Amino acid sequence: MTRALGRALVQVGMPIVSILALWYLAILTTGLPAFVIPRPERVFQALIADRALITHHLIETLKAATVGYVLANVVGIGLAALLVAVPVVRQLVMPAAITLRNVPYVALVTVLSLALGDTLGSKVAIVVLAGFFPVLVNTYRGLLAADPVALDRMRVLSASPLEIFLHVRLPYALPYIVSAQEITGSGSIIVAIAAEWMISGSGLGYVINRAMQQYRGDQVYAVALLAALLSFLIYTLVHVAGRRLDWQGAVRDRA
Amino acid sequence: MLPISIRGVSRRFGATLALERMDLEVAAGEFVALVGPSGCGKTTLLRIVADLESPSTGEVRIGPDPAGTARQKRLLGLVSQRPAVLPWKRAVDDVLFTQRIARRAGFPAAELLREFGLAGHEDKRPHHLSGGMLQRVNIASALAHDPPVLLMDEPFSALDEMKREELGEWLGQELARRPKTVLFVTHHIDEAVLLSDRVLMFSPAPGRVLELVSVPAPRPRGAEFRGHRGFIETTAHIRRLLARAAPAGAAAGGPPR
Repeated sequence: MTRALGRALVQVGMPIVSILALWYLAILTTGLPAFVIPRPERVFQALIADRALITHHLIETLKAATVGYVLANVVGIGLAALLVAVPVVRQLVMPAAITLRNVPYVALVTVLSLALGDTLGSKVAIVVLAGFFPVLVNTYRGLLAADPVALDRMRVLSASPLEIFLHVRLPYALPYIVSAQEITGSGSIIVAIAAEWMISGSGLGYVINRAMQQYRGDQVYAVALLAALLSFLIYTLVHVAGRRLDWQGAVRDRA
Repeated sequence: MLPISIRGVSRRFGATLALERMDLEVAAGEFVALVGPSGCGKTTLLRIVADLESPSTGEVRIGPDPAGTARQKRLLGLVSQRPAVLPWKRAVDDVLFTQRIARRAGFPAAELLREFGLAGHEDKRPHHLSGGMLQRVNIASALAHDPPVLLMDEPFSALDEMKREELGEWLGQELARRPKTVLFVTHHIDEAVLLSDRVLMFSPAPGRVLELVSVPAPRPRGAEFRGHRGFIETTAHIRRLLARAAPAGAAAGGPPR
C-alpha cells in the first residue's frame, strides 16, 4: 500500500519536477521577456485570478470538444459498419473520406466559418471532420479482423447479420476502436481550441488569441497548461476505460 | 439423426477444379471419415455440406432438406481445426452462446462440460485452457444445440500425438452416448479407422471418390482396437491405396495446413 502510494507520487511528481526545471532553465538561458516566457508562479497566479473568465470559456471549449468527439465516433463507427455490411459503399465513401482528411484544416475551418458563422455548430463540425477518420479506419480494420472460424460458426448457426455484427465483429473490433479513441479523444480538445483560435469569440482558443493581443503571456500559458492537462486527462481516462473493454489487452496483462 | 446425401457435387475455383462429381450416401448415425492427400478438396466438401460454400454442380441433402435449409433449421454442428470459441467468453458462456444463437435448448451447458471432463474449468476463458481442453470446449459448443449432424474438420490436428489419440478415443465414447451423423476430415489414417464406420478415400486434386473402405468392427472402439487384425489390415489397405494414388511426398499423414 505504502509502496504503491510512493510509486504513484513518483509517477506524478517526476514529470512536474522535470517540466518546472526545463521551464526555469529556458527563462535563465534565453533571456526572453516575461510576456514570452513568464515565470511559472505568474502563470499559476493568472490561473487563480482569471478563474471566472477561464472557466466560462473552458465550458465553451468542452461543449464543442465533447459533442464533436461523440459525433466523430458515431460517424466513424457508423460508416465503418456500413462499409463492412455493404462493401460496394467503400468505393464511394473512402475516396471522399481520404480527400477530406487531406484538405488543410485551415481551409476547412474558413469554409465552415463562412457557412455556419461563429457558432457551436461550426466548431463541432471541425472537431468531427478532424476526428472521425482515425475512428473510421481503425474500426473498419477491426471489424474485418474477426476470426474467420468464429464467423463460420455463426453462419452454420444461421445467425442474423446483426447478431454476427454485435457478438463477433464488434468485440473483435473493440481493441482497434479503443486505440482510435486515444487519438480522437485528446485530439478533440486540441482541435476545438485551434478552431476557436481562428474563428471564434468564445472558448479557450479565443482567450489565447485575446491574451496574445494584450501581451498577457501569463494568461496564454495558463490556458495552454489547462488545455494540456485536460488533453492528458482525457487520454488517461480513455486509456484506462479502454483497458477494461479491450479483451486483447486483458489477455496480454494476464499472460 | 439424419442421413446426408451428396450427389454429383463438383466445385471449381476459377480455372481450378477442386472437386469432381462426388457421390456419397451417409446413413443416419453413421460416421464417415474423409481421408486423402493435401489439397484434394476434403475441407471444400465439408464446407459445401455446411452450406458455407456452394457447389458448382450437384446437390447436398440433409434428411429431406437441401444443405441451405438444414443450416437455416440449425441442424448442423461445425467443429473447426482452430477452435471457434470466442476469446472473451468463459467456457460455459461459450456453450450457452451457441444455444442462444441457434435458439435451441440442446444439452444443459454445465452438465455437458462436466461430462466432457471440464468440471472446474467452466468459468475459464480460452487463454487459461490447454489445447486439449480448448478443443473439448470447441466440440461442446458445436454440440450444445444438439444438432443431428456434426461436421468436423481436422479437430485434433493441432494437438500432440498423445493428446490426439486420447481425444480420439474420448470422441468415440461421447458419440456412443450422443449419436450423430458425422463427417470427419482428417490426415491421420489411424484416427480415421479408429473412429469411423467407413473411410472415404479421396484421389489427389481434383478430388474424386477413390474408394469407400468399411471398418470391420462395431463402434465405439477403444485403444485396444489398434492391435486388432481389422484395424491393421484396414490401415495397411488405405496406405497402399494412397501411395498408389498420390504423387510422391503428397500422401496422407503430411503436415496439416
